[in-house]
Amino acid sequence: MRAALADAVRRLRAAPGRAALAAAGIVAAAAMLGAGVTVSYGLTTGFERSAQQADLPDVLARFGDEEREEVEERVAALPNLEQRTYRYEETSVPLSANGESSEDGVIHAVRGERRGYAILEGRDVTADDLDGAVVERGVAQEWDLEVGDTISSGSQISWEIVGIGVSPDNVAYPLASSLRIYVSGPALEEAFDFVLPVNMALLWSTEPERTDVLLQQARANSYGLSDLRFITREGVEVAVGEAAGIVIALLVAFSIVALAAAGAMLATAAHADVQRRLGTIGIQRAVGMDRRAVAVGFAASGAVLAAPAGVLGLALGTLVAAGPTGALLLTLNELPPGGALVGPLLLAWLVVVAVVALASGWPAWRAAGRPIVGLLRGSEVARPRAARGLSRGPFGLGLRLALGRPARLGGTALVLAACTAVVTLMLALASLLVDLSDDPASLGKRYELTAQLDADSAPDVRALPGVEAATPRYELDATASFQLGQPVRLIGFEGDHVPFEAPPLADGRRLDPDADGLPEAEVGAGLAEALGLAPGSTLAVQLPDGVEERFRVVGVVRALDNDGRVAYVPADTVSQAADESAIAVKLTDGASQAAVQAGLIDLGAADAGEAEAATTDDAAFLATLAALLRAVALVNGLVCLYALMQALALTARERRGTIAVLRATGAGRGHVALLLGGVVAAATIPAVVAGLALQRWALGPATADLAAGYADLQLTAAGAQAAGVAVGVALLAAFASWWVARRTTREPVVVGLREE
Amino acid sequence: MEVLSARGLVKVHGRGRAARRVLDGASLSVTPGEVVAVVGRSGSGKSTLLHLVGGLDRADAGEITLAGERVDRLRERDLTRLRGRAAGFVFQFFHLVPELSGAENVELPARLPGAPAGALRRARTLVERLELGHVADRLPHELSGGEQQRFAVARALVHDPPVILADEPTGNLDPQAAQIVLGLLRAAADEGRAVLLVTHEAAATAIADRVVRLQDGVLVADPALRAVPERLGA
Amino acid sequence: MSARGLATLLLTLIAAVLLSACGGGEDSASAGGSTRDATLVDEDNDGLPEPGPGELLLDRTEIAPAAPLQSEIARIGILNDPQIRDEESPARVPFLDRLGAPFTTTFRPHEALSTQVFAAGVNAIAAQEPEAVLLPGDLADNAQRNELEWAAAVLNGERVDPDSGDPGYDGVQRADNPDPFYYRPGVDAPQQPGLLSDAQQPFTPRGLGVPWFPVLGNHDILVQGEVPPTPELEGLATGDEAVERLDEERLERLDVPPDSALAPQLVQNLLAAGRLPGDTRTIPADPARTLVAPQEATDLLRDAAAASGADLRARAGAPDRLDYTADIGPRVRLIALDVVNRQGVSRGVVTPDQRAWLAEQLEAAGDRWVIVSTHQPLDSSVGGPEVLELLDAHPRTLAVVNGHTHSNEITPRDDYWVLSTASLTDWPLQGRMLRVLETRGGGAAIETWVVDVEGEGLAGKARELAHLDAQGGRPGGDRGEREDRNVRLFVR
Repeated sequence: MRAALADAVRRLRAAPGRAALAAAGIVAAAAMLGAGVTVSYGLTTGFERSAQQADLPDVLARFGDEEREEVEERVAALPNLEQRTYRYEETSVPLSANGESSEDGVIHAVRGERRGYAILEGRDVTADDLDGAVVERGVAQEWDLEVGDTISSGSQISWEIVGIGVSPDNVAYPLASSLRIYVSGPALEEAFDFVLPVNMALLWSTEPERTDVLLQQARANSYGLSDLRFITREGVEVAVGEAAGIVIALLVAFSIVALAAAGAMLATAAHADVQRRLGTIGIQRAVGMDRRAVAVGFAASGAVLAAPAGVLGLALGTLVAAGPTGALLLTLNELPPGGALVGPLLLAWLVVVAVVALASGWPAWRAAGRPIVGLLRGSEVARPRAARGLSRGPFGLGLRLALGRPARLGGTALVLAACTAVVTLMLALASLLVDLSDDPASLGKRYELTAQLDADSAPDVRALPGVEAATPRYELDATASFQLGQPVRLIGFEGDHVPFEAPPLADGRRLDPDADGLPEAEVGAGLAEALGLAPGSTLAVQLPDGVEERFRVVGVVRALDNDGRVAYVPADTVSQAADESAIAVKLTDGASQAAVQAGLIDLGAADAGEAEAATTDDAAFLATLAALLRAVALVNGLVCLYALMQALALTARERRGTIAVLRATGAGRGHVALLLGGVVAAATIPAVVAGLALQRWALGPATADLAAGYADLQLTAAGAQAAGVAVGVALLAAFASWWVARRTTREPVVVGLREE
Repeated sequence: MEVLSARGLVKVHGRGRAARRVLDGASLSVTPGEVVAVVGRSGSGKSTLLHLVGGLDRADAGEITLAGERVDRLRERDLTRLRGRAAGFVFQFFHLVPELSGAENVELPARLPGAPAGALRRARTLVERLELGHVADRLPHELSGGEQQRFAVARALVHDPPVILADEPTGNLDPQAAQIVLGLLRAAADEGRAVLLVTHEAAATAIADRVVRLQDGVLVADPALRAVPERLGA
Repeated sequence: MSARGLATLLLTLIAAVLLSACGGGEDSASAGGSTRDATLVDEDNDGLPEPGPGELLLDRTEIAPAAPLQSEIARIGILNDPQIRDEESPARVPFLDRLGAPFTTTFRPHEALSTQVFAAGVNAIAAQEPEAVLLPGDLADNAQRNELEWAAAVLNGERVDPDSGDPGYDGVQRADNPDPFYYRPGVDAPQQPGLLSDAQQPFTPRGLGVPWFPVLGNHDILVQGEVPPTPELEGLATGDEAVERLDEERLERLDVPPDSALAPQLVQNLLAAGRLPGDTRTIPADPARTLVAPQEATDLLRDAAAASGADLRARAGAPDRLDYTADIGPRVRLIALDVVNRQGVSRGVVTPDQRAWLAEQLEAAGDRWVIVSTHQPLDSSVGGPEVLELLDAHPRTLAVVNGHTHSNEITPRDDYWVLSTASLTDWPLQGRMLRVLETRGGGAAIETWVVDVEGEGLAGKARELAHLDAQGGRPGGDRGEREDRNVRLFVR
């Protein structure tokens, strides 16, 4: 092995130009890999990592205010309970600090040993801390607060910030409209000599796999608690992900696809390299080297090159992507992977080296099995039949030349196709993300405005000019009754919901609001998968008032909302307990949205905003997201550009010998440029077509499926985008041809002749 | 009247300490109908000389006149045009385009802009004349060395150039094939062309009217290698 | 390797595999039997009881110092509070369970499995080879005839058909009942689809095989252990209407008394009217659910016990009370007292007649060791403390054995012991063995240890559910402390 490696190094030294070129290709692909690994690993493991560090409870229950002793009595008897603690939550508290203020503060009075949040700076509050508070990281960043600063509520109470903490059970301020601080419950009780009620219970199960029996007993013993809601870690992840979930899923999916493309490019480049060195293999075999030795030699060359190039590339890609990924995670109150990234990157490096070594060794092995004479003669020229019909001009000649070496042509075309596909995918992704934040139709919504009015105002709303239809809409977050802790979002419309909100139907039929027997429901594909539902099944939902409401599932829809864990139900089943109730307003074609909004305000609506789209349109969050997208696009775009140029330039360079001959016989620069154009076009034209097709029918759907298989995302590039990419690649191809032609015709003919 | 002449050619290969003056004031002329053979040791710069006079390479110093034009003064574009009009090359390693058939290779110069009228027809005629009709559609790797070189000769003649420059044309051929190719070159000269032939084989010098030797960067006449009286071919 | 060698190797391998499969770790489902060999504990607190180390007998010398043991003079099994349940009966109030104390006994997640658990307890005790078995009361759960009959059948090894009403399960735990405050095995965690229909299957238990001695408990003759049967209640029990859910408003207006003494009044108020306000459901009626009068109950139990070979010498003049004496071997006499209050409420009451009779019987016992058994503990029964003092005075009192508390507890009196044992209704689902030995110097000692019911099949599942029950014996600490379980009690 050592001999093979030493040999490989020597061989590389002998042809430094070629080695540098190959290495550059590896660096580029590795950069793409590095960025992809950073983004996908960081984002997918973000929640788990932070939940671990913050010691997030397995069950988080919220309920109406109760005496702590009474709740403790119920909770202490639960099985599989490792630890529990209680909090008192007060919302809508005005808070101000450092010149900033908000009416939406939330105070958590905490107690006990386990807290459910992680301290990032400073320390936690203790039972002696009457004036101390831990402030959420998002607020600290947004308001520029540090340990030691003061935060106050009104003019009466103020706390000293003793620590900055983070908990992934909610997104960070300002993405979340409320900002949270933690104070000590016992300290308050001690100081003011009263007993705080509690309205939150945090439960840690001894065996997380058996949290379901804990929950079942908790539910069975919860009679009398008002407005009780359970949420498990999984439910928290879904709820938190809502703001950014689909975006992250798309980014991760794209990164994974880019990883695959990078792998393909690496393999193709290595393979093509071997193809170019068939003569060398022939000589090695002629000299008496056995097949294995040849293959090992090539594999070693590949590995020796790939090892340092891989490190460099991965480092570059990681560096570029790490910052924006971390920023995005922080907005979700999640933690960046930090050192944990080393493992996956190491693995990626090993993959790079292995892929290059294999892609060099295996074709060498295959080639070494061929008759030596054939190898010495160089790679076989094919006899394309279609070639006859090509014009005899220089362009056609170029095409002929390219078609004469189908293996090389195929390799080049593959790399070009992969690049085309990746770039087109990026553009499609960008468009989709814009749609998701701007376009309510992404959630299947067909109405434009949401008015905060009572249900009985609906007739008045319908009477407004410009309004085509209006109906009350209710939303309620609950949990599945047979799988407590699995979140379910119930959406109820009065009457037929289809004209207002109707994600595409995947199975079954639409619900009939007037059906007999159990009320009917259309469930999202995400929910159907999580609970094992299909048309005909029963969906049982535990409402916060303790009632179990059952529905007969009649249809499955591809809903994007809430990770697909939604159910469209008749309004009367949710109108009482709803979290949100409003009137959905559909405008007539051409109606003025502003005018209707004004009309709604006149009717007394507290708010009349646009219908929500799939992701939040919070400016700060979008800015963070945009930064990440740009970083990823930069790396991948540059890589594709480089791969494109390299493939084209190599293709052109290989013809130097032929070009020299032509020049010797009297071909001028223009002739040569056109010839090269033909050679390059032979690869480019099918590559662009294949790349666009690949994106449209394979990568696009695969990415969409990977990100949100439960929904119906369209990740296809618009015609204009595809055309733009095609034109761009064509221009690049033309440029590459011209460039090489220029360089070649500058030098003496004899130089090209020597190449042969 | 010489159609090809070179005076005081200087060419240095390599740089720094490895620099070698391959040509150091070489001079030469060839008249129409004449076959001039340049001989010398391997690596003596014979091919370099040929490349320079054919405009395939740039001399460091000296004058080169080909078909009345000063090769050393022309820009690349004009050089290209000149070659297309006035020179035909035959190389040791044939340098046929591997993706094209023998016949298509021959037709290459005929398809260039500025090719003389009737060049295509001439190409086909040449192929027949050189008895290559039965292998005209084969790709170079399917041809024997002799066949490949004959195609190369045909290619060199397609545009009816006044000068043929042959660099070790028989270096890769067996004796029979070599004889045939040399015969073709002699015939080309007999048709009125100037043929400059670089070689290290004695048989090749046999067809030459004059033999010069490249030695220490200059050309000297070598009467010892005068062509034998018998001529090859008719 | 020769063919023979290969064959030997293969056989050895097969044997090794089989042996390892046999001897390997038992899971809690199949565990059971004497806790001196192995216990069932949830050491890791994950909600699943697992086999743990056995508990050796601890010497308790609060009354008398340890003395060398001589011969065994009696070996008695104890099975407490099986509370055989007709869970589909309409004369029940499971909808009160969610209000918490004092109604936590009105519903249990494993309530449909009472006969199977009892049979498993019978098997476990029978395996300990007692010469007689004492049952300190609550054989039935709701004073229903069919419940008493099932209990007797389990004890005597006769075929049991635990289904009532129409074939199949038709109670509050069915999967299509949209009431999340009941554990519905078809849909709620831990999911056990088919559990309820399996529980309705008839089976033939092995039976005890030895004479057994019953004591009357409150649940044997009082509805829900609190309320004496009335014609209205009888109509409810044998009728075709069951309350699914009590009126929500009504439930909210119920002033749930923290004092459990008033709870029966509440239940009585709810039940006594015979018709309960709230959502009712039509169910198949079953006359076998008829409520028993006290004499019916005592007759049934006396006859069934006699069939097992028990010789009960009843108290003359009180056929509707299950007071009797019986001999267990030549050296031990059992005196059973029926302290159930015929007027209702779960608290026991000892009448002056009974106390007088007891005094007589103590005399008549001579120098036999005496074990007195009541259902409710005497120290909290009306007239009970006097009985305890009476027993204090009698030198041959060995022990007082009661049920009703559902927990393991052994307390010393001046010179005898009071033993309480866990039930076959709530966790830990245990019975007890009692072994009386003479000690050198004329004293006696009691070796006693608790026995887990056999864990195969439905009984094992019941045990799992009983462990999970947040209103049950686990949070209630019914397992007792170490010294309440496997001990050697020295008397004199």
